[in-house]
Amino acid sequence: MSITSFSFLCFFAVVLFFYYLIPQKTQWVYLLLISFVYFMTSSEVTEGGWYVALYPAAAVAAVYFAARLIDRTKEQRIKKAALVCAVLFCIGLLCTLKFFRLPLPAPMGISFYTLTLLGYLFDVYYEIGTVQKNYGKLLLFGCYFPTMISGPILKYKEMEGQLFLGHKLDYRRITFGMQRMLWGFFKKLVIAERAALIANEVFDHYENYAGFEIWVGAVAFTFQLYTDFGGCMDIVLGLSECFGIDLPENFNAPFLSRSISEYWRRWHISLGNWLREYLFYPLLRTRFFMELPKKLKPRLGKKRAKQLTTFLAMFLLWFAIGYWHGGTLNFIIGSGLLHWFYIVSGELMEPWFSKWKAALHIGRDNRAFVLFQRLRTFFLVTLGLVFFRNAAVPDALAMLRRGFLKCNPGILVDGTLFGLGLDWIEFTILVVSLLILCCVSLLEQKESVRSRLERSGLLLRWIVLYALIFYVILLGQYGPGYSASEFIYQKFRV
Amino acid sequence: MSREEVFERLNEVFRDVFDDASITVNDGTTSDDIEDWDSLEHINLMAAVEFEFGVKFSMGQIVTMKNVGEMVDIILQKI
Repeated sequence: MSITSFSFLCFFAVVLFFYYLIPQKTQWVYLLLISFVYFMTSSEVTEGGWYVALYPAAAVAAVYFAARLIDRTKEQRIKKAALVCAVLFCIGLLCTLKFFRLPLPAPMGISFYTLTLLGYLFDVYYEIGTVQKNYGKLLLFGCYFPTMISGPILKYKEMEGQLFLGHKLDYRRITFGMQRMLWGFFKKLVIAERAALIANEVFDHYENYAGFEIWVGAVAFTFQLYTDFGGCMDIVLGLSECFGIDLPENFNAPFLSRSISEYWRRWHISLGNWLREYLFYPLLRTRFFMELPKKLKPRLGKKRAKQLTTFLAMFLLWFAIGYWHGGTLNFIIGSGLLHWFYIVSGELMEPWFSKWKAALHIGRDNRAFVLFQRLRTFFLVTLGLVFFRNAAVPDALAMLRRGFLKCNPGILVDGTLFGLGLDWIEFTILVVSLLILCCVSLLEQKESVRSRLERSGLLLRWIVLYALIFYVILLGQYGPGYSASEFIYQKFRV
Repeated sequence: MSREEVFERLNEVFRDVFDDASITVNDGTTSDDIEDWDSLEHINLMAAVEFEFGVKFSMGQIVTMKNVGEMVDIILQKI
Protein backbone atom coordinates (compact mmCIF):
# COMPACT_ATOMS: atom_id res chain seq x y z
CA MET A 1 0.00 0.00 0.00
CA SER A 2 1.77 3.16 -1.16
CA ILE A 3 1.39 6.10 1.20
CA THR A 4 0.41 8.34 -1.68
CA SER A 5 -2.45 6.05 -2.70
CA PHE A 6 -6.09 6.76 -1.98
CA SER A 7 -6.51 3.46 -0.18
CA PHE A 8 -3.73 4.39 2.22
CA LEU A 9 -5.38 7.72 3.02
CA CYS A 10 -8.64 5.89 3.82
CA PHE A 11 -6.73 3.38 5.96
CA PHE A 12 -5.03 6.26 7.77
CA ALA A 13 -8.31 8.10 8.40
CA VAL A 14 -9.92 5.02 9.97
CA VAL A 15 -6.82 4.23 12.03
CA LEU A 16 -6.62 7.80 13.33
CA PHE A 17 -10.31 7.89 14.23
CA PHE A 18 -10.10 4.81 16.46
CA TYR A 19 -6.71 5.83 17.87
CA TYR A 20 -8.29 8.65 19.81
CA LEU A 21 -11.38 6.64 20.83
CA ILE A 22 -9.58 3.84 22.64
CA PRO A 23 -8.11 4.21 26.18
CA GLN A 24 -4.76 5.99 26.10
CA LYS A 25 -3.01 3.11 27.85
CA THR A 26 -3.79 0.79 24.94
CA GLN A 27 -2.74 3.18 22.18
CA TRP A 28 0.73 1.69 21.85
CA VAL A 29 -0.70 -1.82 21.47
CA TYR A 30 -3.04 -0.46 18.83
CA LEU A 31 -0.11 1.15 16.97
CA LEU A 32 1.78 -2.13 17.12
CA LEU A 33 -1.22 -3.95 15.69
CA ILE A 34 -1.63 -1.39 12.90
CA SER A 35 2.09 -1.57 12.15
CA PHE A 36 1.72 -5.33 11.82
CA VAL A 37 -1.31 -4.99 9.52
CA TYR A 38 0.54 -2.43 7.42
CA PHE A 39 3.59 -4.66 7.26
CA MET A 40 1.57 -7.71 6.26
CA THR A 41 -0.07 -5.83 3.37
CA SER A 42 3.28 -4.68 1.95
CA SER A 43 4.21 -6.13 -1.41
CA GLU A 44 7.27 -7.77 0.18
CA VAL A 45 4.99 -9.95 2.28
CA THR A 46 2.17 -10.50 -0.19
CA GLU A 47 4.65 -11.53 -2.88
CA GLY A 48 7.36 -13.03 -0.69
CA GLY A 49 5.30 -14.93 1.84
CA TRP A 50 4.20 -14.41 5.43
CA TYR A 51 7.51 -15.64 6.80
CA VAL A 52 9.09 -12.30 5.78
CA ALA A 53 7.53 -10.94 8.98
CA LEU A 54 9.84 -13.20 10.95
CA TYR A 55 12.90 -11.16 9.95
CA PRO A 56 12.05 -7.98 11.87
CA ALA A 57 10.63 -10.07 14.73
CA ALA A 58 13.92 -12.00 14.93
CA ALA A 59 16.07 -8.85 14.75
CA VAL A 60 14.05 -7.27 17.57
CA ALA A 61 14.33 -10.47 19.60
CA ALA A 62 18.11 -10.59 19.17
CA VAL A 63 18.47 -6.96 20.24
CA TYR A 64 15.97 -7.40 23.06
CA PHE A 65 17.76 -10.34 24.68
CA ALA A 66 21.23 -8.86 24.14
CA ALA A 67 20.18 -5.57 25.76
CA ARG A 68 18.65 -7.34 28.75
CA LEU A 69 21.74 -9.45 29.22
CA ILE A 70 24.03 -6.41 28.95
CA ASP A 71 21.88 -4.68 31.54
CA ARG A 72 21.86 -7.55 34.02
CA THR A 73 25.42 -8.84 33.94
CA LYS A 74 28.39 -7.08 35.52
CA GLU A 75 30.94 -8.97 33.47
CA GLN A 76 32.37 -6.77 30.74
CA ARG A 77 33.26 -9.87 28.73
CA ILE A 78 29.68 -11.09 28.61
CA LYS A 79 28.37 -7.63 27.76
CA LYS A 80 30.74 -7.44 24.84
CA ALA A 81 29.89 -10.94 23.64
CA ALA A 82 26.16 -10.19 23.74
CA LEU A 83 26.69 -6.96 21.83
CA VAL A 84 28.86 -8.59 19.17
CA CYS A 85 26.46 -11.51 18.67
CA ALA A 86 23.39 -9.29 18.25
CA VAL A 87 25.20 -6.85 15.95
CA LEU A 88 26.54 -9.67 13.78
CA PHE A 89 23.11 -11.26 13.63
CA CYS A 90 21.33 -8.05 12.57
CA ILE A 91 24.02 -6.90 10.13
CA GLY A 92 24.25 -10.45 8.81
CA LEU A 93 20.52 -10.51 8.10
CA LEU A 94 20.68 -7.08 6.47
CA CYS A 95 23.60 -7.99 4.23
CA THR A 96 22.23 -11.41 3.31
CA LEU A 97 18.83 -10.08 2.36
CA LYS A 98 19.82 -6.74 0.89
CA PHE A 99 23.28 -6.77 -0.52
CA PHE A 100 24.28 -10.29 -1.44
CA ARG A 101 21.63 -10.43 -4.14
CA LEU A 102 20.24 -13.77 -3.08
CA PRO A 103 16.81 -14.71 -4.39
CA LEU A 104 15.26 -14.02 -0.97
CA PRO A 105 12.66 -11.32 -0.39
CA ALA A 106 13.79 -8.66 2.10
CA PRO A 107 11.19 -7.14 4.41
CA MET A 108 10.28 -3.50 3.97
CA GLY A 109 12.34 -0.99 5.89
CA ILE A 110 15.07 -3.47 6.81
CA SER A 111 17.96 -0.99 6.48
CA PHE A 112 16.09 1.51 8.62
CA TYR A 113 14.88 -0.69 11.44
CA THR A 114 18.22 -2.50 11.65
CA LEU A 115 20.02 0.76 12.37
CA THR A 116 17.28 1.97 14.72
CA LEU A 117 17.54 -1.23 16.76
CA LEU A 118 21.33 -1.31 16.80
CA GLY A 119 21.45 2.32 17.96
CA TYR A 120 19.29 1.32 20.92
CA LEU A 121 21.57 -1.61 21.71
CA PHE A 122 24.74 0.51 21.55
CA ASP A 123 23.18 3.06 23.90
CA VAL A 124 22.44 0.32 26.40
CA TYR A 125 25.99 -1.00 26.02
CA TYR A 126 27.50 2.47 26.49
CA GLU A 127 25.28 2.92 29.53
CA ILE A 128 23.58 6.03 28.20
CA GLY A 129 20.25 4.43 27.41
CA THR A 130 17.59 2.66 29.42
CA VAL A 131 16.53 -0.92 28.76
CA GLN A 132 13.09 -1.79 27.45
CA LYS A 133 11.85 -4.84 29.31
CA ASN A 134 8.72 -5.37 27.22
CA TYR A 135 9.34 -7.17 23.93
CA GLY A 136 6.17 -5.74 22.39
CA LYS A 137 7.25 -2.19 23.12
CA LEU A 138 10.66 -2.77 21.59
CA LEU A 139 8.95 -4.30 18.58
CA LEU A 140 6.87 -1.15 18.17
CA PHE A 141 10.00 1.00 18.50
CA GLY A 142 11.67 -0.99 15.71
CA CYS A 143 8.66 -1.40 13.45
CA TYR A 144 6.48 1.70 14.01
CA PHE A 145 4.75 1.76 10.65
CA PRO A 146 5.40 5.32 9.39
CA THR A 147 9.15 4.76 9.76
CA MET A 148 9.07 1.41 7.97
CA ILE A 149 8.66 3.14 4.61
CA SER A 150 11.98 4.96 4.50
CA GLY A 151 13.02 6.05 7.96
CA PRO A 152 13.89 8.26 9.73
CA ILE A 153 16.22 6.21 11.90
CA LEU A 154 15.01 6.62 15.48
CA LYS A 155 16.78 7.21 18.76
CA TYR A 156 15.27 5.31 21.65
CA LYS A 157 15.82 8.16 24.10
CA GLU A 158 13.71 10.49 21.98
CA MET A 159 10.96 7.96 21.38
CA GLU A 160 10.29 6.11 24.64
CA GLY A 161 8.41 9.01 26.19
CA GLN A 162 6.24 9.36 23.11
CA LEU A 163 5.58 5.90 21.73
CA PHE A 164 4.39 4.19 24.88
CA LEU A 165 2.55 6.98 26.66
CA GLY A 166 -0.98 7.79 25.63
CA HIS A 167 -1.89 10.86 23.65
CA LYS A 168 -4.92 13.06 24.01
CA LEU A 169 -6.70 14.34 20.95
CA ASP A 170 -4.95 17.61 20.08
CA TYR A 171 -6.60 19.53 17.29
CA ARG A 172 -3.56 21.71 16.65
CA ARG A 173 -1.17 18.79 16.26
CA ILE A 174 -3.52 16.98 13.91
CA THR A 175 -3.93 20.04 11.69
CA PHE A 176 -0.18 20.59 11.74
CA GLY A 177 0.39 16.96 10.85
CA MET A 178 -2.05 17.07 7.98
CA GLN A 179 -0.59 20.30 6.65
CA ARG A 180 2.80 18.67 6.69
CA MET A 181 1.43 15.65 4.82
CA LEU A 182 -0.10 17.96 2.23
CA TRP A 183 3.27 19.62 1.74
CA GLY A 184 4.80 16.19 1.26
CA PHE A 185 2.21 15.30 -1.37
CA PHE A 186 3.05 18.55 -3.13
CA LYS A 187 6.74 17.66 -3.23
CA LYS A 188 6.17 14.08 -4.27
CA LEU A 189 3.22 14.26 -6.65
CA VAL A 190 3.68 17.66 -8.25
CA ILE A 191 7.46 18.01 -8.38
CA ALA A 192 9.13 14.61 -8.08
CA GLU A 193 6.80 12.82 -10.49
CA ARG A 194 7.33 15.52 -13.12
CA ALA A 195 11.07 15.81 -12.64
CA ALA A 196 11.18 12.01 -12.96
CA LEU A 197 9.94 12.16 -16.54
CA ILE A 198 12.85 14.38 -17.60
CA ALA A 199 15.36 12.41 -15.58
CA ASN A 200 14.12 9.07 -16.93
CA GLU A 201 14.26 10.28 -20.50
CA VAL A 202 17.78 11.67 -20.26
CA PHE A 203 19.30 8.93 -18.08
CA ASP A 204 17.72 6.08 -20.02
CA HIS A 205 18.78 7.45 -23.41
CA TYR A 206 21.84 9.51 -22.54
CA GLU A 207 23.52 8.43 -25.77
CA ASN A 208 20.99 10.60 -27.63
CA TYR A 209 21.85 13.72 -25.64
CA ALA A 210 24.84 15.96 -25.08
CA GLY A 211 25.97 19.09 -23.26
CA PHE A 212 23.27 21.01 -21.45
CA GLU A 213 20.65 18.36 -22.19
CA ILE A 214 22.62 15.99 -19.99
CA TRP A 215 22.88 18.61 -17.25
CA VAL A 216 19.17 19.38 -17.37
CA GLY A 217 18.49 15.67 -16.92
CA ALA A 218 21.00 15.41 -14.09
CA VAL A 219 19.60 18.45 -12.29
CA ALA A 220 16.08 17.07 -12.77
CA PHE A 221 17.15 13.86 -11.05
CA THR A 222 18.69 15.79 -8.14
CA PHE A 223 15.39 17.62 -7.63
CA GLN A 224 13.47 14.40 -8.13
CA LEU A 225 15.43 12.56 -5.48
CA TYR A 226 15.22 15.41 -3.00
CA THR A 227 11.48 16.03 -3.43
CA ASP A 228 10.78 12.31 -3.54
CA PHE A 229 12.66 11.42 -0.37
CA GLY A 230 12.00 14.77 1.33
CA GLY A 231 8.31 14.61 0.39
CA CYS A 232 8.09 11.08 1.74
CA MET A 233 9.61 12.31 5.01
CA ASP A 234 7.09 15.15 5.22
CA ILE A 235 4.25 12.67 4.82
CA VAL A 236 5.75 10.27 7.35
CA LEU A 237 6.49 12.96 9.95
CA GLY A 238 3.05 14.48 9.36
CA LEU A 239 1.35 11.10 9.77
CA SER A 240 3.16 10.51 13.00
CA GLU A 241 2.41 14.02 14.25
CA CYS A 242 -1.29 13.20 13.88
CA PHE A 243 -0.74 10.38 16.38
CA GLY A 244 0.98 12.86 18.70
CA ILE A 245 4.41 11.36 18.07
CA ASP A 246 7.25 13.58 16.85
CA LEU A 247 9.84 11.84 14.71
CA PRO A 248 13.31 13.29 14.13
CA GLU A 249 13.78 15.53 11.09
CA ASN A 250 15.69 14.01 8.19
CA PHE A 251 16.14 17.12 6.05
CA ASN A 252 16.93 20.74 6.62
CA ALA A 253 16.99 22.46 3.22
CA PRO A 254 20.11 20.58 2.05
CA PHE A 255 20.58 22.71 -1.04
CA LEU A 256 21.20 25.81 1.03
CA SER A 257 24.42 24.13 2.18
CA ARG A 258 27.62 26.05 1.51
CA SER A 259 29.86 23.01 1.66
CA ILE A 260 29.65 19.25 1.26
CA SER A 261 30.15 18.69 4.98
CA GLU A 262 27.27 21.04 5.69
CA TYR A 263 25.21 19.19 3.08
CA TRP A 264 25.67 15.97 5.05
CA ARG A 265 24.42 17.69 8.17
CA ARG A 266 21.25 18.70 6.30
CA TRP A 267 20.56 15.67 4.08
CA HIS A 268 19.39 12.37 5.57
CA ILE A 269 20.27 13.74 9.00
CA SER A 270 19.25 10.68 10.99
CA LEU A 271 21.58 8.47 8.94
CA GLY A 272 24.47 10.93 9.30
CA ASN A 273 23.99 11.13 13.06
CA TRP A 274 23.77 7.38 13.39
CA LEU A 275 26.93 6.70 11.44
CA ARG A 276 28.85 9.43 13.23
CA GLU A 277 27.87 8.26 16.66
CA TYR A 278 27.94 4.51 16.23
CA LEU A 279 30.53 3.98 13.51
CA PHE A 280 32.83 6.98 13.13
CA TYR A 281 33.53 7.82 16.79
CA PRO A 282 34.05 4.23 17.92
CA LEU A 283 36.31 3.75 14.89
CA LEU A 284 38.44 6.72 15.91
CA ARG A 285 38.63 5.24 19.40
CA THR A 286 40.08 1.93 18.26
CA ARG A 287 43.70 1.29 19.11
CA PHE A 288 44.72 1.49 15.45
CA PHE A 289 43.32 4.96 14.96
CA MET A 290 44.54 6.17 18.36
CA GLU A 291 48.10 5.04 17.66
CA LEU A 292 48.27 6.16 14.06
CA PRO A 293 48.78 9.93 14.66
CA LYS A 294 51.61 9.16 17.08
CA LYS A 295 53.31 6.96 14.51
CA LEU A 296 52.89 9.49 11.72
CA LYS A 297 53.84 12.53 13.80
CA PRO A 298 57.66 12.32 13.44
CA ARG A 299 57.37 12.17 9.67
CA LEU A 300 54.44 14.51 8.95
CA GLY A 301 54.20 16.83 11.93
CA LYS A 302 51.36 16.92 14.42
CA LYS A 303 48.74 18.64 12.32
CA ARG A 304 49.16 16.55 9.18
CA ALA A 305 49.36 13.32 11.17
CA LYS A 306 46.02 14.08 12.80
CA GLN A 307 44.51 15.12 9.49
CA LEU A 308 45.62 11.99 7.69
CA THR A 309 44.18 9.77 10.42
CA THR A 310 40.85 11.55 10.20
CA PHE A 311 40.81 11.24 6.42
CA LEU A 312 41.41 7.52 6.66
CA ALA A 313 38.56 7.06 9.16
CA MET A 314 36.34 9.23 6.95
CA PHE A 315 37.15 6.99 4.00
CA LEU A 316 35.71 4.03 5.86
CA LEU A 317 32.70 6.10 6.93
CA TRP A 318 31.89 7.21 3.41
CA PHE A 319 32.48 3.76 2.06
CA ALA A 320 29.86 2.53 4.54
CA ILE A 321 27.39 5.24 3.50
CA GLY A 322 27.84 4.34 -0.15
CA TYR A 323 27.63 0.61 0.47
CA TRP A 324 24.47 0.99 2.50
CA HIS A 325 22.78 2.81 -0.36
CA GLY A 326 22.93 -0.23 -2.59
CA GLY A 327 26.07 -2.30 -2.31
CA THR A 328 27.24 -1.73 -5.88
CA LEU A 329 30.11 0.42 -7.11
CA ASN A 330 27.91 3.18 -8.54
CA PHE A 331 26.41 3.80 -5.07
CA ILE A 332 29.73 3.42 -3.30
CA ILE A 333 31.17 6.13 -5.54
CA GLY A 334 28.13 8.36 -6.05
CA SER A 335 26.90 8.70 -2.51
CA GLY A 336 30.09 7.68 -0.77
CA LEU A 337 33.65 7.98 -1.91
CA LEU A 338 33.10 10.93 -4.24
CA HIS A 339 31.80 12.90 -1.26
CA TRP A 340 34.82 11.79 0.76
CA PHE A 341 37.03 13.10 -2.02
CA TYR A 342 35.18 16.45 -2.03
CA ILE A 343 35.60 16.91 1.71
CA VAL A 344 39.23 15.82 1.81
CA SER A 345 40.26 17.96 -1.15
CA GLY A 346 38.30 20.88 0.29
CA GLU A 347 40.20 20.61 3.56
CA LEU A 348 43.56 20.22 1.88
CA MET A 349 42.99 23.25 -0.33
CA GLU A 350 41.57 25.37 2.47
CA PRO A 351 44.75 27.45 3.04
CA TRP A 352 44.85 28.18 -0.68
CA PHE A 353 41.15 29.18 -0.72
CA SER A 354 41.69 31.46 2.27
CA LYS A 355 44.53 33.21 0.49
CA TRP A 356 42.37 33.81 -2.57
CA LYS A 357 39.46 35.07 -0.51
CA ALA A 358 41.73 37.52 1.31
CA ALA A 359 43.31 38.70 -1.94
CA LEU A 360 39.92 39.27 -3.54
CA HIS A 361 38.52 40.86 -0.35
CA ILE A 362 35.64 38.39 -0.16
CA GLY A 363 33.96 38.42 3.24
CA ARG A 364 32.57 35.21 4.71
CA ASP A 365 29.00 36.37 4.32
CA ASN A 366 29.31 38.13 1.00
CA ARG A 367 26.00 37.33 -0.71
CA ALA A 368 27.42 36.56 -4.12
CA PHE A 369 30.01 34.32 -2.52
CA VAL A 370 27.38 32.45 -0.50
CA LEU A 371 25.36 31.91 -3.68
CA PHE A 372 28.49 30.65 -5.44
CA GLN A 373 29.14 28.20 -2.60
CA ARG A 374 25.57 26.93 -2.68
CA LEU A 375 25.62 26.41 -6.43
CA ARG A 376 28.97 24.67 -6.18
CA THR A 377 27.61 22.28 -3.54
CA PHE A 378 24.55 21.61 -5.69
CA PHE A 379 26.73 20.85 -8.70
CA LEU A 380 29.03 18.52 -6.77
CA VAL A 381 26.07 16.63 -5.33
CA THR A 382 24.49 16.38 -8.78
CA LEU A 383 27.72 14.88 -10.16
CA GLY A 384 27.53 12.18 -7.49
CA LEU A 385 23.89 11.50 -8.27
CA VAL A 386 24.78 10.79 -11.89
CA PHE A 387 26.59 7.72 -10.54
CA PHE A 388 23.74 7.01 -8.15
CA ARG A 389 21.07 7.01 -10.87
CA ASN A 390 22.97 5.12 -13.56
CA ALA A 391 22.99 1.34 -13.56
CA ALA A 392 26.77 1.10 -13.57
CA VAL A 393 29.88 3.23 -13.33
CA PRO A 394 30.82 3.07 -17.06
CA ASP A 395 27.36 4.45 -17.93
CA ALA A 396 27.82 7.32 -15.49
CA LEU A 397 31.25 8.13 -16.90
CA ALA A 398 30.01 7.98 -20.49
CA MET A 399 27.08 10.22 -19.61
CA LEU A 400 29.30 12.75 -17.85
CA ARG A 401 31.68 12.76 -20.81
CA ARG A 402 28.80 13.61 -23.12
CA GLY A 403 27.84 16.37 -20.72
CA PHE A 404 31.28 17.94 -20.75
CA LEU A 405 32.02 17.46 -24.44
CA LYS A 406 29.49 19.85 -25.88
CA CYS A 407 28.62 23.41 -24.91
CA ASN A 408 25.13 24.17 -26.18
CA PRO A 409 23.50 26.67 -23.81
CA GLY A 410 21.21 27.54 -26.71
CA ILE A 411 19.01 24.53 -25.93
CA LEU A 412 17.88 26.25 -22.75
CA VAL A 413 15.99 28.85 -24.77
CA ASP A 414 15.22 27.33 -28.18
CA GLY A 415 12.48 24.95 -27.05
CA THR A 416 14.59 21.77 -26.96
CA LEU A 417 13.80 21.51 -23.24
CA PHE A 418 10.18 20.76 -24.01
CA GLY A 419 11.18 17.61 -25.85
CA LEU A 420 12.75 16.00 -22.78
CA GLY A 421 9.64 14.27 -21.53
CA LEU A 422 7.56 17.31 -20.52
CA ASP A 423 5.74 19.71 -22.84
CA TRP A 424 5.91 23.44 -22.17
CA ILE A 425 2.87 23.55 -19.88
CA GLU A 426 4.14 20.68 -17.74
CA PHE A 427 7.63 22.15 -17.73
CA THR A 428 6.30 25.52 -16.56
CA ILE A 429 4.33 23.84 -13.77
CA LEU A 430 7.53 22.10 -12.68
CA VAL A 431 9.56 25.32 -12.65
CA VAL A 432 6.85 27.30 -10.80
CA SER A 433 6.49 24.52 -8.23
CA LEU A 434 10.24 24.44 -7.70
CA LEU A 435 10.19 28.19 -7.12
CA ILE A 436 7.42 27.79 -4.54
CA LEU A 437 9.47 25.06 -2.85
CA CYS A 438 12.54 27.28 -2.87
CA CYS A 439 10.68 30.26 -1.33
CA VAL A 440 9.10 28.12 1.39
CA SER A 441 12.47 26.52 2.20
CA LEU A 442 14.02 29.98 2.62
CA LEU A 443 11.10 31.14 4.80
CA GLU A 444 11.33 27.95 6.84
CA GLN A 445 14.94 28.79 7.78
CA LYS A 446 13.68 31.66 9.90
CA GLU A 447 10.48 30.25 11.32
CA SER A 448 8.13 27.33 10.76
CA VAL A 449 5.76 28.22 7.94
CA ARG A 450 2.94 26.36 9.65
CA SER A 451 3.29 28.55 12.77
CA ARG A 452 3.26 31.63 10.58
CA LEU A 453 0.11 30.40 8.89
CA GLU A 454 -1.46 29.75 12.26
CA ARG A 455 -0.88 33.35 13.30
CA SER A 456 -2.13 34.81 10.04
CA GLY A 457 -5.79 35.61 9.61
CA LEU A 458 -8.34 32.86 9.11
CA LEU A 459 -9.09 33.96 5.56
CA LEU A 460 -5.47 33.97 4.41
CA ARG A 461 -4.86 30.61 6.08
CA TRP A 462 -7.75 28.94 4.32
CA ILE A 463 -6.89 30.50 1.00
CA VAL A 464 -3.33 29.19 1.23
CA LEU A 465 -4.38 25.72 2.34
CA TYR A 466 -7.16 25.33 -0.20
CA ALA A 467 -4.92 26.66 -2.95
CA LEU A 468 -2.32 24.04 -2.04
CA ILE A 469 -4.91 21.26 -1.83
CA PHE A 470 -6.27 22.07 -5.26
CA TYR A 471 -2.81 22.58 -6.64
CA VAL A 472 -1.89 19.06 -5.54
CA ILE A 473 -5.17 17.49 -6.63
CA LEU A 474 -5.20 19.15 -10.04
CA LEU A 475 -1.50 19.07 -10.82
CA GLY A 476 -0.37 15.99 -8.92
CA GLN A 477 0.74 13.18 -11.21
CA TYR A 478 -1.01 10.02 -10.18
CA GLY A 479 -2.88 8.97 -13.28
CA PRO A 480 -2.01 6.04 -15.52
CA GLY A 481 1.37 6.27 -17.13
CA TYR A 482 2.96 7.77 -14.05
CA SER A 483 4.55 5.68 -11.37
CA ALA A 484 3.57 7.33 -8.14
CA SER A 485 3.48 3.96 -6.51
CA GLU A 486 6.93 3.91 -5.01
CA PHE A 487 9.45 6.22 -3.45
CA ILE A 488 12.99 6.04 -4.72
CA TYR A 489 14.44 5.57 -1.26
CA GLN A 490 11.86 2.95 -0.51
CA LYS A 491 13.17 0.95 -3.41
CA PHE A 492 16.77 1.31 -2.30
CA ARG A 493 15.71 0.72 1.28
CA VAL A 494 18.26 3.26 2.24
CA MET B 1 44.91 15.01 43.06
CA SER B 2 42.93 18.17 43.78
CA ARG B 3 40.40 19.69 41.43
CA GLU B 4 42.70 22.65 40.85
CA GLU B 5 45.56 20.40 39.82
CA VAL B 6 43.31 18.59 37.38
CA PHE B 7 42.32 21.92 35.86
CA GLU B 8 45.93 23.00 35.58
CA ARG B 9 46.90 19.87 33.71
CA LEU B 10 43.74 20.07 31.59
CA ASN B 11 44.66 23.60 30.52
CA GLU B 12 47.93 22.27 29.14
CA VAL B 13 46.11 19.49 27.26
CA PHE B 14 43.59 21.93 25.75
CA ARG B 15 46.34 24.36 24.73
CA ASP B 16 48.24 21.57 23.07
CA VAL B 17 45.24 20.03 21.26
CA PHE B 18 43.80 23.30 20.00
CA ASP B 19 47.18 24.97 19.38
CA ASP B 20 46.20 28.02 21.39
CA ALA B 21 48.27 29.11 24.38
CA SER B 22 45.62 31.50 25.63
CA ILE B 23 43.03 28.84 26.53
CA THR B 24 42.02 28.55 30.18
CA VAL B 25 39.15 26.22 30.97
CA ASN B 26 36.78 26.23 33.93
CA ASP B 27 33.77 24.21 35.11
CA GLY B 28 31.40 25.86 32.68
CA THR B 29 33.57 25.71 29.53
CA THR B 30 31.79 23.97 26.64
CA SER B 31 32.54 23.30 23.01
CA ASP B 32 30.83 26.61 22.17
CA ASP B 33 33.61 28.52 23.92
CA ILE B 34 36.47 27.13 21.87
CA GLU B 35 36.28 27.69 18.16
CA ASP B 36 37.95 24.53 16.91
CA TRP B 37 36.18 22.24 19.35
CA ASP B 38 33.95 20.34 16.95
CA SER B 39 32.74 16.78 17.24
CA LEU B 40 35.83 15.38 15.57
CA GLU B 41 38.27 17.38 17.67
CA HIS B 42 36.31 16.19 20.69
CA ILE B 43 37.47 12.64 20.04
CA ASN B 44 41.09 13.83 19.71
CA LEU B 45 40.74 15.82 22.90
CA MET B 46 39.41 12.79 24.76
CA ALA B 47 42.38 10.74 23.62
CA ALA B 48 44.78 13.43 24.81
CA VAL B 49 43.05 13.75 28.19
CA GLU B 50 43.07 9.98 28.65
CA PHE B 51 46.79 9.90 27.87
CA GLU B 52 47.57 12.76 30.27
CA PHE B 53 45.70 11.26 33.25
CA GLY B 54 46.09 7.59 32.42
CA VAL B 55 42.33 7.04 32.46
CA LYS B 56 39.87 5.59 29.96
CA PHE B 57 36.49 7.11 29.21
CA SER B 58 33.58 4.99 28.02
CA MET B 59 31.91 5.87 24.72
CA GLY B 60 28.80 6.83 26.69
CA GLN B 61 30.75 9.33 28.78
CA ILE B 62 32.36 10.79 25.69
CA VAL B 63 29.09 11.57 23.94
CA THR B 64 27.20 12.77 27.00
CA MET B 65 29.82 15.01 28.67
CA LYS B 66 28.28 18.46 28.74
CA ASN B 67 31.13 20.68 29.94
CA VAL B 68 34.65 20.63 31.31
CA GLY B 69 33.28 20.44 34.87
CA GLU B 70 31.73 17.05 34.11
CA MET B 71 34.95 15.95 32.48
CA VAL B 72 36.86 16.82 35.68
CA ASP B 73 34.30 14.94 37.80
CA ILE B 74 34.81 11.83 35.73
CA ILE B 75 38.61 12.15 35.83
CA LEU B 76 38.56 12.55 39.61
CA GLN B 77 36.39 9.46 39.93
CA LYS B 78 38.78 7.41 37.88
CA ILE B 79 42.20 8.34 39.24
